[in-house]
Amino acid sequence: MTIRRSVEGIVVLDGVCAVEEAESLLQMLQATPGAIIDWTQCRQLHTAVLQVIMASGGSPMGPCGDVWVEQWLAPKLPQKGTAR
Amino acid sequence: MSALEDQFVAEARELIRQATDNLIALERDGLSPERIDSVFRAFHTLKGSAGVVELPAMSIVLHAAEDLLDSVRHRTLGAGAEIVDAALTCLDQVSRWVDNFEAAGALPSRAGEDSRVMAQRLRSLLPRRSGERPAASVPDFPNEASQGVLPEWVSQLIAAERDEITSRMQEGPMAVTAISYEPFAGCFFNGDDPVHLMRQMPGLLAFQIEPREPFLPLADIDPYACNLRLRSISIGNRDEIAALFRLVLDQTQIISVPSEALTAAEMHVGSGSQSLICKVIEAQCELLRVPDRADELAGCIGAAARVAENALRHGQRLDLADIVGRAGTLALAQQDAGPLLSALERALAAFASPASTTAVNGGSQAASERPADRMLRVSEAKIEALVNLAGELVVARNALSYSVRQVERNLDGGEVARSIQRDRDAIDRLVTELHGSVLQLRMVPVAQLFGSFPRLVRDVARQLDKKVALVTSGETTEVDKTIMDRLFEPMVHLVRNALDHGIEDPGQRRAAGKSEAARISIAASRSGDRLLVEVTDDGRGIDPAVVRRKAFERQILPPDELAALTDEAAVDLVFSAGFSTASIVSDISGRGFGMDVVRTAIEQIGGRVSLESKVGIGTTVRLDLPMTIAMSRIMVVEAGGQSFGIAMEAVSETVRVPPERVSTIKNNDGFVLRDRVVPIVSLAELMKLPGRKRDAAEPRLLVVMEAAGRIAAFEIDAVRDRLDVVLKPMQGLLSGARGYAGTTLLGDGQVLLVLDVKEILP
Repeated sequence: MTIRRSVEGIVVLDGVCAVEEAESLLQMLQATPGAIIDWTQCRQLHTAVLQVIMASGGSPMGPCGDVWVEQWLAPKLPQKGTAR
Repeated sequence: MSALEDQFVAEARELIRQATDNLIALERDGLSPERIDSVFRAFHTLKGSAGVVELPAMSIVLHAAEDLLDSVRHRTLGAGAEIVDAALTCLDQVSRWVDNFEAAGALPSRAGEDSRVMAQRLRSLLPRRSGERPAASVPDFPNEASQGVLPEWVSQLIAAERDEITSRMQEGPMAVTAISYEPFAGCFFNGDDPVHLMRQMPGLLAFQIEPREPFLPLADIDPYACNLRLRSISIGNRDEIAALFRLVLDQTQIISVPSEALTAAEMHVGSGSQSLICKVIEAQCELLRVPDRADELAGCIGAAARVAENALRHGQRLDLADIVGRAGTLALAQQDAGPLLSALERALAAFASPASTTAVNGGSQAASERPADRMLRVSEAKIEALVNLAGELVVARNALSYSVRQVERNLDGGEVARSIQRDRDAIDRLVTELHGSVLQLRMVPVAQLFGSFPRLVRDVARQLDKKVALVTSGETTEVDKTIMDRLFEPMVHLVRNALDHGIEDPGQRRAAGKSEAARISIAASRSGDRLLVEVTDDGRGIDPAVVRRKAFERQILPPDELAALTDEAAVDLVFSAGFSTASIVSDISGRGFGMDVVRTAIEQIGGRVSLESKVGIGTTVRLDLPMTIAMSRIMVVEAGGQSFGIAMEAVSETVRVPPERVSTIKNNDGFVLRDRVVPIVSLAELMKLPGRKRDAAEPRLLVVMEAAGRIAAFEIDAVRDRLDVVLKPMQGLLSGARGYAGTTLLGDGQVLLVLDVKEILP
C-alpha cells in the first residue's frame, strides 16, 4: 500500500503510486474533504492518481518526490493553502 | 538466459573494462592513435553485440558515444575531461544495464528514456560546423508551419509558456515539436499512463495538463475515467515524437514548430531543472539538520536519501546519485545523519558548479600496455563444483588414514598395514596436488581488483579538487577469487579514506613543502602463503594525540589505559568500533571513517589489518590475507567425551602444566606462561559437557590460544589429530548458532564441530 493516512490525518503518498491507488486515494479524500496530501515521499505518480489530486482542487504539501511532477506539474496546481 | 546472452554479458563486461582503462590512460597520457582506436573499437563492438541481443536502448547510447569518439579519432574534437567524463558516464550506464540484463533478462522500463537523454547529451558535445544542424534534428516531415497552418492551440501554448520555453532553449537552430494528447476515457484500462509517456520526451520545453471537461465534485468522480488533455512542446523532430507516441497516435496531434515561432534566448538547457534539483537537495539538508528527532531519524534519513538520489538521477548526475545513495545506507547503518549530510553538501557543491577541470595525474602501470591474456572462460559454478569435489576427496583421504590406523591397531603392524600405508601416502600426494591445482583455477591476478581504482581515484580526486597520482604494483600476484571479491569493499573504504582524509588540499601540501600532486600506492605481494596488500598515501598522517583525545571523548578506553598506550597502539584505536562517527571525520587529522568496518571485513576472511602512520609524512594500511579460504588447518581435540575442531591459526601452543603451576585467582584457574598470566578455561565446562574426574597430581593438558588480542588456555582431555579440512559453514537450523566456525566430516564419518575461537574466548 503506497497510499496511507498518517496519525495526524494527512494522506501520505509513498514510493511508486500505481494506477490502482487512484481509487484508495479518492476514497480517503471523499471521507475527509480537504485533507492535506503529503507527496514528498512518492517516487512516481500514475496519471490516474494525479487526476484525483487535480480533481480534489488542492495542492499537496512540500515538494513532490517525483521530480518530474515537481518540475512540470506542481507549479500549475492552485497555490498552497487553497485546499478545499 | 541463452548461451548467446551469457556470452554477451561476459564479453560486454570485458569490453567495458577495457574501454574504461583506455579512457583513463588517454586522459592521463594524452591522445594517441592506438589508444583512441582501441576505445573506439570497444564501443563499436559493444554496440554491435547490444544489437545482436536486441537491446535498442543500449545501442542508441553507444551509437552516440561512438560518434563522439569518432570525432576525437579524426581530431575534430579534443579528448578533454568533459569528453572522457561523458564516455565514462555512458559506460557506467551500459554497465548497469548489463547487470540488469543479466539479472532480469531485460533492461529496466525507463531504459528507453534514459538512453534518449544520454544520447542527446553525448551528441550535444559533438562539434558543429557552421550552418550544420545537430544530427538529431533534421526534419524529415514537411514543416506544417511553413505552410502557415500552425494550429491555434500551439500558438496559445507557446504564448502561455513563453518564459519556460525561452529559459530552456538551446542556442542554435533546432527542430521543435508540439503535441496535444487527449487520452481515451478508458485508457487506464489499456494500461496507458499518459503522463509517463510525456516524461519520456527528451528535451521537454513546456508542459500543460488540464481537464477536458470541468472535474465533477469528488463524490461523483470516476477515478478510472481519464478526463485529461496533455500538451507539450519539446526539442526533437516530429518523427522522434511520433515514435514515442506510436501506440496512441490516434489520440494525438503532432505539429512541427519553426524555431522562429519561439523566442530563443541563450540559456543553457536544463538550468531551470538544475536550480530545482539544488532546492530539493537543500530541503533535504534542512530536514536532516533538525535536531531532537532521534525517533524519526531512520525515516528521515531514508526519505531524504531517496528524494535527493532521485533528484540527482533526474539531473543526469548518476555519479552523485550513487554517492548519495551509498551515504544514505551508511547513515542508516550508523543511525547518524552525518555521512548523508556531508554527502549531500558535497553533491550540492559539485552539482552547482559544473565539474572542475583538475587533471588527475592518476596512473597505474596496469593492464593497458600488456597484450590481452589468452583466457578460457569457465563459469564460476563449474569451478565451484570441482573445488567441492576435490574437497570431498580430501575427506576421503582422511578416511583412509583412519582405516590405516584401525588396521595397524588390529593387525599389529602387519604387512597389510604397511602396504595400505604406502597407498595412502601415494593418494595423499596426489590429492594434495589435485586440490592445489583445482584451487589454482580459482586464483586470479589482483589486477582485476586493482583495475577499478584508477577510475575511483580519478573521480573522487576531481570531486575533492585534489591532485592524486595512483601507483599500483604487484598486479600479477594471484589470490583466490573468493578472497578478492571480499577484499573489494574494504579496499574502496581505504582508498576513499586516503583521498578524503589522508591527502591534503594542494594548497596545504604546498605550504608543507610537498609536491602538489599527492601519491597513493596500492601494492600487492606474496609472503609465503599469505597475500600482502598495502595502501599507502603521502598525506598528513594520523596524529596519535588527536586519536587519544577522540578516544577519550568517545570513551573507547578509560583515561589511565589511554595514557599507558604507545603511540602505535593509540593510532590503532581508529579501528575500534564506535571510534568513527561523522562528527570527527571532519576534524580528525587523518582517517577514522569506518575503519572498524574494514577490520571486521578483513578478519572475516582470515586476514589481519595493521596501520602505520607518521604525522606529516603519510599513512600505510597493511592487509595480511590468506591466499585462499577454501582449506583450513585444524586441530582436533577431545573434551567431555566429544571432539571439537580448533583452527590452527588461533592455537599458539599446547602445553602440559603440572598442578603446582596452576594458581587459582578468585574462582578462576590460571598459570604463568613466559611472563604472561593465561587464564584456564575448561572446554568441557564451556560446552556444558560433563567434565572428566581428574587425578589431582595429573598434569593438565592445555591448548593456548590467541585471538583478537586476547589469550586463554582451553583445558582438554586429549589432542587427536591435525587435519586440513574443507570447512562448511553451519547450515539450516544451526546457521544461527554462535561459537562455531563451521563443520567438517571426519574420517570415521563423524561430523566435527569447529569452534570459532574468537567468539568463545573469554
